[in-house]
Amino acid sequence: MTETYETKIERLKEIINKIEDGNTSLEESMKLYEQGAVLVRQCETLLAEAELKISTLSRDA
Amino acid sequence: MDWFNTRDEPEDRIAAPLSVSELSAIVQELLDDSRLLDIRVRGEVTNYKHHGRGHRYFSLSEKGGGSTAAVIRCVMWRSDADRLPFAPEEGMEVVVNGSVTVYPPHGTYQLQVRSMEKAGLGEKYLLIEQWKKELAAAGLFSQDRKRSLPAFPQTIGVVTSETGAVIHDIQNVVLRRFPLKIIISPTAVQGEGAHAEIATAIHRVAGLVDVVIVARGGGSFEDLFPFNHPDVVKAIASCPVPVVSAIGHEVDVTLADLAADVRAPTPSAAAELVVPDRADLLLRLQEQKVRIKTALQGRVAWARDEMLGLRDRLRPQKFSRRIGERKQYTADLAERMDRAWATRIGRERLLLAGMKNALDAQSPLAVLSRGYCVAEKDGSVVKGVTSIQKDDRLKIRFYDGTTRVIVERVDHD
Repeated sequence: MTETYETKIERLKEIINKIEDGNTSLEESMKLYEQGAVLVRQCETLLAEAELKISTLSRDA
Repeated sequence: MDWFNTRDEPEDRIAAPLSVSELSAIVQELLDDSRLLDIRVRGEVTNYKHHGRGHRYFSLSEKGGGSTAAVIRCVMWRSDADRLPFAPEEGMEVVVNGSVTVYPPHGTYQLQVRSMEKAGLGEKYLLIEQWKKELAAAGLFSQDRKRSLPAFPQTIGVVTSETGAVIHDIQNVVLRRFPLKIIISPTAVQGEGAHAEIATAIHRVAGLVDVVIVARGGGSFEDLFPFNHPDVVKAIASCPVPVVSAIGHEVDVTLADLAADVRAPTPSAAAELVVPDRADLLLRLQEQKVRIKTALQGRVAWARDEMLGLRDRLRPQKFSRRIGERKQYTADLAERMDRAWATRIGRERLLLAGMKNALDAQSPLAVLSRGYCVAEKDGSVVKGVTSIQKDDRLKIRFYDGTTRVIVERVDHD
């Protein structure tokens, strides 16, 4: 998981809000949708590819 | 009582012998003394026996000059022993609370123990209270200091013992919910010097991670004691990233718990608080997916409605109505023009008729009709007799025709 997941999710929410807001033009909405779809895919990948990595610090350090 | 002097007393003054039970009753009565009831006694546990029925039998002894100076037998009934916070051991220095009682069947007196704590524990409690006051005064437990945990940490640090169930519990939860990078900062979690090691372990890992879990499994008050030490509390309070504490069981609240940004009841719960649930995130992502699709469909539908609305406004009916309006207007104008024209023509006609009458009045024909006639000679009107001579041929015009005459004679007036 990365910090970017959070930013991506935030961006996704903004995009949805913009599309839901009637003030955004149809063309702009379609562009936003494409961006949103990319973000969703990226988020899915981030979630799917997470893996456990364990390291132990030396006590002497 | 002086036995020797008593011997000399007269025989009839000698009391009848007491029965054993009478004597026992007297002893019992003597021991019914507030100084022996509900008292605290400190001593070393010896001859400790954990009876099969749950009762505990032991002695409390006091050493003096290398040998035992005093000893008292003790019993702790099961109902009280069940509440023991620790397992008493041979040689353990303890403080017990109880009352001295007589057990007539054995002819013994004993300390009936209701509760027991390790010696020095009271001092430790007091020490914690003192630290708590000082650290609270320094603001280390203030709610304002509490930071919220990162929603999506990349790396989490775990300060705990590298052996034991705690680290496994945390790993399992993280693996199940959202596998990510865990950095273990190992430390002793109990015993002498553990507090300094814990503080060092926190400092060591703090700069490498997004959030730190400080955890320890359940233990006795003394086991958890290092987590009350100001070194640990300060290390937590000064940690640059948020700290989640999970120390002992839920009922055990250490000063480290008070200083932590979030306190979890167990290490597993701490891990759950720190890492989000991937399945849950996926579910929410699916919801977002549906929502963005719905949003776009909604936007398109809205655009279509808008377009249809505009198209309706462009419909020919509307045009023809406007054309009809224009036609009407034009027709109105034409009618007005016609009317104006007719009025004007009428007036002109009247004028013209008047002029015609006037003109007619001036017409030579009108004069002729009154009985006059006009003489013409060679196509010109004869205005006087000077222009004619005898035998001129003249044309005389009457109002209803002409006649030709020959001049017979000319008379001048």
